[in-house]
Amino acid sequence: MNLELQHARSRLMFVFLLVCIGMAGLLARLYYWQVLQANQLSQLANDEHIQNQIVNAPRGLIYDSQGHILATNVVRDDVYIEPIQFFVDHPDDSDAALAGLVHTLHEVLPTLAEDRLSRDFKSGLQTLRIAGPIDPAQSARLRELHLPDIFLEPRTWRIYPGGDLAAQVLGFVQNGTTGVYGIEGAENQLLAGKPGTLTAETDLNGNPLTVGPSSAQPAVNGASLTLTIDSTIQYIAQSALADTVRQLKAQGGTVVVLNARTGAVVAMAGMPTFDPNHYSSYYKQMGCLGSESVYFNPALMCAYEPGSMMKSVTMAAALDQGLITPDTAFDDPGIIAFKDGTPPVTNWDNLGYGHETMTQVLEHSANVGAAYVAHDILGPGRYYPYLRRFGFGQLTGINDGPEEPGTYRTPGSPGWTPSDLTRQAFGQSILATPLQVAIAYQAIANGGVMMRPYLIAAINNNGQITTTKPQVERRVISARAATLLTQMLVSAANYNQNATFPGYSIAVKTGTATTQGISAYLTEASMAGFLPASHPRFVILVKLDRPQAHGDIFGGVAAGPLWRTIAQQLMWHYGIAPDQQSSTQSRDMGR
Amino acid sequence: MGPVALCITSVILIGLMAVLYLSQQGQALAANQQLQQIHTQQAILERQNQDLLDTVAYEQSPAYIADNAKKLGLVPADPKTVQMLVVPHLRPIPHNQQNMQP
Repeated sequence: MNLELQHARSRLMFVFLLVCIGMAGLLARLYYWQVLQANQLSQLANDEHIQNQIVNAPRGLIYDSQGHILATNVVRDDVYIEPIQFFVDHPDDSDAALAGLVHTLHEVLPTLAEDRLSRDFKSGLQTLRIAGPIDPAQSARLRELHLPDIFLEPRTWRIYPGGDLAAQVLGFVQNGTTGVYGIEGAENQLLAGKPGTLTAETDLNGNPLTVGPSSAQPAVNGASLTLTIDSTIQYIAQSALADTVRQLKAQGGTVVVLNARTGAVVAMAGMPTFDPNHYSSYYKQMGCLGSESVYFNPALMCAYEPGSMMKSVTMAAALDQGLITPDTAFDDPGIIAFKDGTPPVTNWDNLGYGHETMTQVLEHSANVGAAYVAHDILGPGRYYPYLRRFGFGQLTGINDGPEEPGTYRTPGSPGWTPSDLTRQAFGQSILATPLQVAIAYQAIANGGVMMRPYLIAAINNNGQITTTKPQVERRVISARAATLLTQMLVSAANYNQNATFPGYSIAVKTGTATTQGISAYLTEASMAGFLPASHPRFVILVKLDRPQAHGDIFGGVAAGPLWRTIAQQLMWHYGIAPDQQSSTQSRDMGR
Repeated sequence: MGPVALCITSVILIGLMAVLYLSQQGQALAANQQLQQIHTQQAILERQNQDLLDTVAYEQSPAYIADNAKKLGLVPADPKTVQMLVVPHLRPIPHNQQNMQP
């Protein structure tokens, strides 16, 4: 072979070998990336293109008994800026651009000062939240302007359109997700629902693609609750309570209104209260005479000495056992001493009423008479079972968050003495919550049958509706004893005239309690009762904590007008016909 | 068919299939974009609906009604001025008949 041809062939072979080596190298690299690194690269690709999104479940709404919304959800935007990106986008004219942008932002969000906005843009952060939640109008304006380096992030907020209406019953939602206090806290799991998930390939903007693999777990919407609360009566109770607390310079107060037949809570108000739309502003405020946070429902948490309202329970126990009648009489010299050495008891006004019937004991609110019945007629063995039957010292079981059971000493308790018995007869030496006292009067109003109090009338769980049926707790006293006691309470109401008003018979008892170790002028003035007495529809309890003004510190004069205001409004609102004729206020038609 | 013609035909067929596939993918993606726009619109309408519900609830609240009643010059009823009319033997209309025409 020719030498040049051989050289040419050698060069060709050399180039061919180089190409083969190159191809082998490429194949090896390909093998490395496509086979050895396949899993890692697939994972990176999936992380980039496949997103696992959490689908939030909308929180259930809360309605009142008339279907008006008490708690709902709205979406509001938070405003974010991208400080670093801004200076990347404006390397040369950042000052002028910043001034313009800040000025425009300030016009849309006037609460944000321009110098503060400038400082925020110079913060050197990737993103910074500058405002939120903002109004829908402000959101729309910002969207129209298409401002660079600014974006809106939607967030769901819990809103209470009624403001502070039934705030302590409802509670509030923290951070948009977790219910605390009240119904929001007690029924958080039911209201919150269950979030879902969506796993799918996404496009460049992060939107899930309909093509390609995807899997979804749908969200389960939160259940909606309908409460037994009537917004109108709740508002009336809250407003009247607030006015009374202000006028009498009291430290606080509570109102409870129950349906006498079913135990449904029609209204439950406390002062001081808070606005759940701005709950964080109230975190330092205290209620229950400074012992509990204002967020707690005082009707369930503020146990107090009920005072003379307990005389009804004492009389109920004795009537039910046939040991007294309304006309059973005894001699009241203003003080009673006991043969077993129990400390004597005096009447609150230090007066002696002489020959006094049991009905008159309630009319005069005589401590001597109550102590006599408890100590000399009932005795511990026949008295304490009735305290238990009336629900004292036990939780009511109402579903509205934490609750105090109240307490009292019994013969089995350490330190009990017969003095406890005589004092408990007129409401000292026993702690009870306003709701406990209210349901005791509900039992009397309902012919001796105590109903379990409840706040939730119905639950709508994604179309499945569950309605609460009124539940009988137990028979506390006989129907006859309840009737006799009602007559005594009507007589007491008419005798004192603190809460009576034309057209309706009412059965009420006042209470004025003082706390040992604290001035006798610092009282808990209260009144509990029901109306119309002939066919009770509603039970009302009002309590004022340490009223001061005008010397109105006693249950009748302090709490009576408030009780009457709420009672009148109840009768008008529900169109309940008068059960009494009054010659001055009514006209008889058709005669 | 000669080998060259076969190659060319195969390439053309493969190309056509690729174009068809890409076209379908493109349509799916366009539909996806549309769907996203509809979802966005739905989210906006849901927000507006929630805002309206909130507005209705606020304006139905007793505090709002009382405030506006005061602005209109209305005052709470004075119990002393209320007259009760007692009509003997008057029976209330049952609740389920209250909307019936006479």
